[in-house]
Amino acid sequence: MSFDINFIGILIGAIMASSVPLILAACGELITERSGVLNLGVEGMMIIGAISGFALMVVTDNLFLAVMGSMLSGLIISIIFALLTQSLLTNHVATGLALTIFGIGMSAMIGKNFVGIPGKEFPLLFVNLKESVPFFGPIIFGHSIILYFAFLLPFLTNYFLKNTKVGLIVRAVGDSPTSASNQGINVLLVRYSCILYGGAMCGLAGAYLSLIYTPQWIENMTGGRGWIALALVVFATWSPIKVLIGALIFGGITILQLHMQAIGLRIPVQLLSALPYIMTIIVLVVISRDSRKIKLNTPTSLGQIFYKEK
Amino acid sequence: MNTKLVISKISKIYPGCIANDKVSLEFGSGKIYALLGENGAGKSTLVKILSGVVKPDEGEVFLNNENIKLNSPLDAKKNNIGMVFQHFNLFETLSVFENLSIDSSKKNEELRLLVNDILKKYNFKIDLDIPVLNLSAGQKQKVEIIRCLIRNPKVLIMDEPTSVLTEQETEDLFVSLKKFSKEGILIIYITHKLKEVLSLCDEVAVMRKGKVVSVSNTKEEKIESLANKMVGENLGTIKKKINNFKNSVEILKISNLNFRSDDPYETNLINLNFSLKKGECLGIAGISGNGQSELFQILSGEIITENTSIMFRQKEISKLNPRERREYLMAFSPEDRISQAAVPELKIYENVALNNFKSSNFFEKGLVNEKKIKEHSKKILSNFSVNTDNVELKSQFLSGGNLQKLIIGRELITSPELLVCFNPTWGLDVGAINYIHETLININEQGKSSIVISTDNDELLRLSDRICVIYKGKLSKIMDASTVTPEKLGVLMGGGSID
Repeated sequence: MSFDINFIGILIGAIMASSVPLILAACGELITERSGVLNLGVEGMMIIGAISGFALMVVTDNLFLAVMGSMLSGLIISIIFALLTQSLLTNHVATGLALTIFGIGMSAMIGKNFVGIPGKEFPLLFVNLKESVPFFGPIIFGHSIILYFAFLLPFLTNYFLKNTKVGLIVRAVGDSPTSASNQGINVLLVRYSCILYGGAMCGLAGAYLSLIYTPQWIENMTGGRGWIALALVVFATWSPIKVLIGALIFGGITILQLHMQAIGLRIPVQLLSALPYIMTIIVLVVISRDSRKIKLNTPTSLGQIFYKEK
Repeated sequence: MNTKLVISKISKIYPGCIANDKVSLEFGSGKIYALLGENGAGKSTLVKILSGVVKPDEGEVFLNNENIKLNSPLDAKKNNIGMVFQHFNLFETLSVFENLSIDSSKKNEELRLLVNDILKKYNFKIDLDIPVLNLSAGQKQKVEIIRCLIRNPKVLIMDEPTSVLTEQETEDLFVSLKKFSKEGILIIYITHKLKEVLSLCDEVAVMRKGKVVSVSNTKEEKIESLANKMVGENLGTIKKKINNFKNSVEILKISNLNFRSDDPYETNLINLNFSLKKGECLGIAGISGNGQSELFQILSGEIITENTSIMFRQKEISKLNPRERREYLMAFSPEDRISQAAVPELKIYENVALNNFKSSNFFEKGLVNEKKIKEHSKKILSNFSVNTDNVELKSQFLSGGNLQKLIIGRELITSPELLVCFNPTWGLDVGAINYIHETLININEQGKSSIVISTDNDELLRLSDRICVIYKGKLSKIMDASTVTPEKLGVLMGGGSID
């Protein structure tokens, strides 16, 4: 195998593409968790987004509607979670797990009629520039608009949390919902909004999988990416930039180990397959070791049920 | 600026408890008002109503003759009513400035100027850009006060503000409050500390069981008169102990107690030696953090030290764990009721069972005998006048005083020969303090011994037969309590020497 410079560029492009669903879902979940809500339904919301996006594409033949629909469906199923945990005060962990199981089952049921249907080509931007610039071409150009959005999202999320009033309110609610409520902040409104936003981002992550990354419907096609996204948020200590780094490492090692398997290295396949998980966690733990920062970034009320005194 | 606040016939009823019963009060600016009452008298409910956190069932509030509706904290803010809660309403992980800016509609630059002016005016020293969790309790309280001042409050309510402050911080707070009052802010000061009422406030309203029982000028009041109003019965002085241990046998002898810790937050103990007779009470005074909690843990067996000899009833027990020591009839009441003595989430009877693994038939073949434990718990509740007979109640719903009665009762009902307690009346109101003190005196008269480690000198002088002071892990010489004065203790606690 020749290691020319364009090959590395293409490789990096592929790594970026594979990390998009993780970035989208993790950034959505990060906002949810920053408001103090632990939604373990990421995997479920993602797969619902994937099937509804694909189904809408098949039915309407309109990719824009498909993407919007996937976000809407992720949002709608997160409303169930919000209703249960915020208004009916159920346990976050149990409700989130149920949401995932529900999403996987529901998507399999809807998806029955869509198995084996080929996807539609998703428009890629700046394709002609891809070939013209060596090395950087395949990295920067020729991606879908969702990828560009995904790579912007961690920075937007970071700016939102650090520099805007609404971001401050989200962090305050995650720190202490009781204090926030006593300050006249509508805790329920904030938490509902964050849960719904997280749901929409997970839906979008699912659509990326079924419409762009592997344009078809396969049952259970998220393959645990929702759980990885959840783990990324925690191991990145709720920092959007570290989520991006973690997602890239995960995507990178996933692609690299596939190549290593193809080369036929004398390392057990199982070990190679486990490598992305192990390396991502190690790297994130190492870069997130500052205990002071962990304390400041961790939403203190994460997973706690909040109810207002009457 | 003249402000007049009138509360008219406010009632709030919780299931099983009338928190406020037709409370009517009048306040005017230029004065500092004390709202005095025991824990559970209804003060906190009243201020929650005034700050819009809790809605009253009945009654009205008038601000400058205008009937105001306080349906939410926002309404209180709109009406310029500021509130500093006992448990701070701050966001620990956000910076001081973020905490202030979150409910202000001002631009950040403007707000920063305003806050800096306030800091300068009242001589507060706080770094605005560090997270709140790095501040001391006193500084956190200042942040809360600044948050109120930003909104030009007409009324400032302080709920038990000194419970977390050091003496110096308390003095600073009083200086600030007097300044605010001069500037025309109406101040309502909620407390159960009598001395503070007399030194700070102009008028005092006393609440008991949800009702206002008296309103008066503080100049006409004394500590005793206020205490009687607060508790509702003539307290009198608690009975004096009859000493009868002089010729009794030695029950505890500790020699060569040394403790070295690698933890920089722990205090090393250096060569402690003391003994205790049957029926005697030894008081150990000191400023907190001088080794009291380490000493308590060594006595209770939570920490096992090398080369230390603890002879208890002629047996060497220094290597025994707390459960084994209890079997030798020692009993312990730790400092922190919530995290050390009881599990707040467990029910009363479950907490009672926790320290009685062997002594009774609570457990049979690994199974819990609920009926036995409940009977036993009921006995504790009635013998030690805990204010409930419901053993199914979760312990977290007991007030501090009732929880402490339960804990002491749980320890004493097994008739131990020695009770070691650490700050037994910390944070309690007068009624509960007196009850606990009488209980401790009673056990001495019954020939049981006690060690009281406390930071409250009045308590030690009341209870102890002999007193010593712990300072930087060393014990002073042990003195006969009748020869000790508060001044002497003060010198020793500061590391000085007397002779």
